[in-house]
Amino acid sequence: MNGGRESEVLHFSWLHVDRVDMLVDELKFTMDETVQMAVDDARSGRSDTVDLNDSTLQVDISDALSEREKVKFTVHTKTTLPDYNKPEFSVVRQHEEFIWLHDRFDENEDYAGYIIPPPPPRPDFDASREKLQKLGEGEGSMTKEEFNKMKQELEAEYLATFKKTVAMHEVFLTRLAQHPIFRTDHNFKVFLEYEQDLSVRTKNKKEKVEGLFRSINRSTDEILLAATQKDVDDYFEKEKGFLLEYHAAIKDSTLKADKMTQAHKSVADSYIKLSTGLSQLGTIEGPRLEKFINKVSDTFEKARKVEGRVASDEDLKLSDTLRYYVRDGSAAKDLLYRRLRCLANYEQANKNLDRARAKNKDVHAAELAQQNACERFEHMSARAKEELNSFKTRRVAAFKKNLIELAELELKHAKAQAQLLKNCLQALQEE
Amino acid sequence: MADSREPPPLFNDDDDSRKDDDNDDLFTSAVQSPVSELTTPEDQTKQEGAGDPLTSPPPATSFPPDPSGGDRPDLFESCEEPSVGGFSSVPLEQPAEGGGTQQVSTDAQDPPPTPPTTPSVGSLVEIPLIVDTDQDLQPSTSSSSSLTRPDFTLFDTTPDTSETPVSSPDILSPPTTSNTSTSTTTSAQELSASPPSSSALLDLSMTLPQELSSEPPANLVDASSVEPAVMSSFITPAEEASVLDAAAPTNDDDDDAAAAAAIPTNLAGEDPALSSEEALVTVYDSETPEEVSLEDETDDGELFDPSSTPKLQLNQDPPLPASNILPPMGAPLTPPVAPITPTATPNLTPNVTPAAPTPVTPVAAARPSAEQLESESGDEFIEISISDPQKIGDGMSSYMAYKVTTKTNIPYFRKKHWSVTRRFSDFLGLHGKLVEKHLHSGRIIPPAPEKSAIGTTKIKLGSDKSSDSSSTDFIERRRASLERYMNRTAAHPTLRSDPDFREFIELDAELPRATQTSALSSAGVLRLFNRVGETVNKMTFKMDESDQWFEEKTQQIENLDAQLRKLHAAMEGLVAYRRELATSTASFAKSAAVLSSVEEHSALSRALHQLAESTERTHTIHHAQADADFYHLSETTKDYIHLIGAVKDVFHERVKTFQTWQHSQTMLAKKREAKAKAELAGRMDKVQQAQDEVAEWEAKVERSQEEFDRISRAIKKEMEQFDIVRVKDFKDMLVKYLEALMTSQQQIIKVWETFLPEARAIS
Repeated sequence: MNGGRESEVLHFSWLHVDRVDMLVDELKFTMDETVQMAVDDARSGRSDTVDLNDSTLQVDISDALSEREKVKFTVHTKTTLPDYNKPEFSVVRQHEEFIWLHDRFDENEDYAGYIIPPPPPRPDFDASREKLQKLGEGEGSMTKEEFNKMKQELEAEYLATFKKTVAMHEVFLTRLAQHPIFRTDHNFKVFLEYEQDLSVRTKNKKEKVEGLFRSINRSTDEILLAATQKDVDDYFEKEKGFLLEYHAAIKDSTLKADKMTQAHKSVADSYIKLSTGLSQLGTIEGPRLEKFINKVSDTFEKARKVEGRVASDEDLKLSDTLRYYVRDGSAAKDLLYRRLRCLANYEQANKNLDRARAKNKDVHAAELAQQNACERFEHMSARAKEELNSFKTRRVAAFKKNLIELAELELKHAKAQAQLLKNCLQALQEE
Repeated sequence: MADSREPPPLFNDDDDSRKDDDNDDLFTSAVQSPVSELTTPEDQTKQEGAGDPLTSPPPATSFPPDPSGGDRPDLFESCEEPSVGGFSSVPLEQPAEGGGTQQVSTDAQDPPPTPPTTPSVGSLVEIPLIVDTDQDLQPSTSSSSSLTRPDFTLFDTTPDTSETPVSSPDILSPPTTSNTSTSTTTSAQELSASPPSSSALLDLSMTLPQELSSEPPANLVDASSVEPAVMSSFITPAEEASVLDAAAPTNDDDDDAAAAAAIPTNLAGEDPALSSEEALVTVYDSETPEEVSLEDETDDGELFDPSSTPKLQLNQDPPLPASNILPPMGAPLTPPVAPITPTATPNLTPNVTPAAPTPVTPVAAARPSAEQLESESGDEFIEISISDPQKIGDGMSSYMAYKVTTKTNIPYFRKKHWSVTRRFSDFLGLHGKLVEKHLHSGRIIPPAPEKSAIGTTKIKLGSDKSSDSSSTDFIERRRASLERYMNRTAAHPTLRSDPDFREFIELDAELPRATQTSALSSAGVLRLFNRVGETVNKMTFKMDESDQWFEEKTQQIENLDAQLRKLHAAMEGLVAYRRELATSTASFAKSAAVLSSVEEHSALSRALHQLAESTERTHTIHHAQADADFYHLSETTKDYIHLIGAVKDVFHERVKTFQTWQHSQTMLAKKREAKAKAELAGRMDKVQQAQDEVAEWEAKVERSQEEFDRISRAIKKEMEQFDIVRVKDFKDMLVKYLEALMTSQQQIIKVWETFLPEARAIS
């Protein structure tokens, strides 16, 4: 699964910033060490959802290119499945095609009993762009050094966002590829194999309205069902309650965690100003203080890098884990809704059968329908139970892994920073 | 009556309040009782009266007879300035006094049959004028014998006293006394402005009036030199009765001297008050021997006698004190007084001056001489800590008081370790006094913390619980900055030996209230004007710098200022972000706790719970670190921005001296030219005059040049020290801060170390 990664290159460009011309040149990067590291991080982040021993279908995103609003992902596949023409191939896909794929699964009745892997979030670089713009505007008010550092920070931030986007898309595909049912899906095969553009267009107005209408319908139905439909199975009743609560709680946590990491990032950034401000002060103060202050200023500069790492690691390990399970939990909720709908249909079929018997009319058709509904429901309940259990296992494993990593990284950074400060203090004392 | 009183108070208020303050301590009991209701309005007027000095001039001028009328405003100001520092201390008492005064006034009108007073009853405002005129016209009219006397004495004493402190050592000349009104005014001015003139003398004089006015008798014993004077001043009202009886002639002289020193402030304050009949009345009331005796107890007798004696003496000295007494209000200012004053003054002044030192010493043996103070050598330490901020009073009139604890091994402090209580405006008042006295001689005076109307109002209006975190933050911030301010001041050898400073940290009693610090006070307005003037001056006058050292230094200071401001902004940003981090971490911790309670997997739930606790702890760490950011970095830097401001002030002071020098030179050149012209024209009479003028300006040039050289030298020395201290402060600051950062990181390490096994335990 990890083979052939060395050659990956991420390309970015910032075409949507107004002051672009000046900045773009400076802001082009190719993959450097940090990128490699981040990609590794991202990969290790997703490995928990992937069964590494299963090599029948391996999917990853080997390259990504950001162009204006669009991000083009190169989806790389290795497989032993006989359905595929070649054992290894790559295609270029865009975000919209991922969404299309997700909708195909979502709409397929056959998959109603499964948790459909949540679709990857839309690539969103607006925040970075906005910051870049601000930075460009404020260029005059700061020193060259400060500006360069701020720009570097922004670049790193942009890179991180980009990598996260790539990782999310990859996770979506790997979960599908790893799922025994989903991986044999025809649409999935097309998505992976078809070399041309899938010509998925974004929904037109009519479709959008329809979609909106459907979703409203669905959510009212969901509310209605939740209120009226009594579940026959305690397990699902309990699971429903849990997921509702859990979803709300984890959503809140995600929000808070995001704020926390953002604040942390700001703290790290403010070290930049502090550091340059100090070193300038040193210049003014002259020899008595200059050396001393320069050491401190250096330390702040280093501390800032560590703090920045802490912030991005917290984001990667904590916020992102939480974020993913917000979406996964939501997918599980959808599953429960579908089951409940199915149950309601089943009960309706029962009623219809009773009525048909009473009237002694169309009894056979009703019996058939009732039987169908019963089977469907039974089948679905069994599937759902499995799925929910695997959701739980998956969740616990992911949290465990990420929390351990979070703690280890926090420790690592804190130790590094403490050591840094200690060294600095020692050096200062020696003066 | 009430209506009529109001207007006079406007300019009298300050004076009254001062007088009140002085009297308060001694006579509080007596005065208070009558006052109660009346006081409040007066107080208010007093506060607003701040503008009075400015406004007052017109009324003052209205006294046509007084030659000093023009001077009056000055008197008022002068009075205010010294007294200002003290005002704050007596808030409670003041009201009482004010009430007392009012009542007195009413009483006075009734009982004292004095002709002038009776007519005035209808309109008080007019009355003062009338009184003055009467006095002028009829200096001898002694209609109200006993009552009038005290006033008179006060006035007389005031001129004497004001002069005495300054002049007493060197100049105890009788001539000064002759122009009592003018002399008093000038002396008062000098005192207020004291710095430029004779330094040592001035200092003494300055301190004396201030202390005197502010301190109650109890303090007198403690307070070093000032007290005797104070005693006298206070005593005055009460004295009359007692003085008449007890005062011995010999003692009187001594007392007078002391009293005189103390009096200037009192007198000045009183003068306005006196102008209104009310003030006089109050004095009488308060003076009643009984009251005094009660408060003063056994000591009072002695103290009063001396103090009272001066007044009495004044009265007594002139053959017929009674006649003069009525004018007292106007008297000091008015010429009519003059007849009395000369008689009294000659006696007093000669006697007083020699006597003055003696009286002081007996009363307060502790008085360390200025020379002693200066003689300190290195190896001494002084450490001041501010603690226990507490809110005193309710509503808008409430204020914060702080405990000022000093530890020192400097010999001129009587103890090694002690505490006093001071309110915030006292600190500002101290700063004002120090600036007044030392700025002109090129000393960098550490700036006091700024007044914050918003923060203060919040605290004042806040409930007593004051659990509000923002206001506790504010108080702590202010406490810390006061502490830094005091220690900075104490670190300066000259400033810490300043009598005002020592009084501030040593005197175990309330200081007179510093009205000057209020932005709305007259002094505040004056300050504003002065500042505008200075700014214009700074902008328009470009000094042709001859000294390269100064040129470089000025540039460096400018750069430093800009850079520090930038750095401070960066630090503020850091503090804000770190605070945000702390709060967002806390809210995440809460959210994680909720999540853990929802989580159905027990091990994961436990781990999440642990995560919540860990983040909660990191929240505390971040919070502490944010405080460290703030107190170690941001506040120190801010202090230095203000200190740089003080440095600039000093530099500007030098520029001003340079200007006077330049001015003298141009004037000298002009005079020489005039002289040459006169010689050419062969007009010998003019030549002589021109010659005199040339000589005069030559002397002035020489003096101003000396002054300029002196201040330049002083500044260089100061800057040397400033540079050393600054570098050290910055090093300390950074080291402390880095240490704090390191501690935070170590704590964070611990937090995650405890968390890690929990995460691993998830199964």
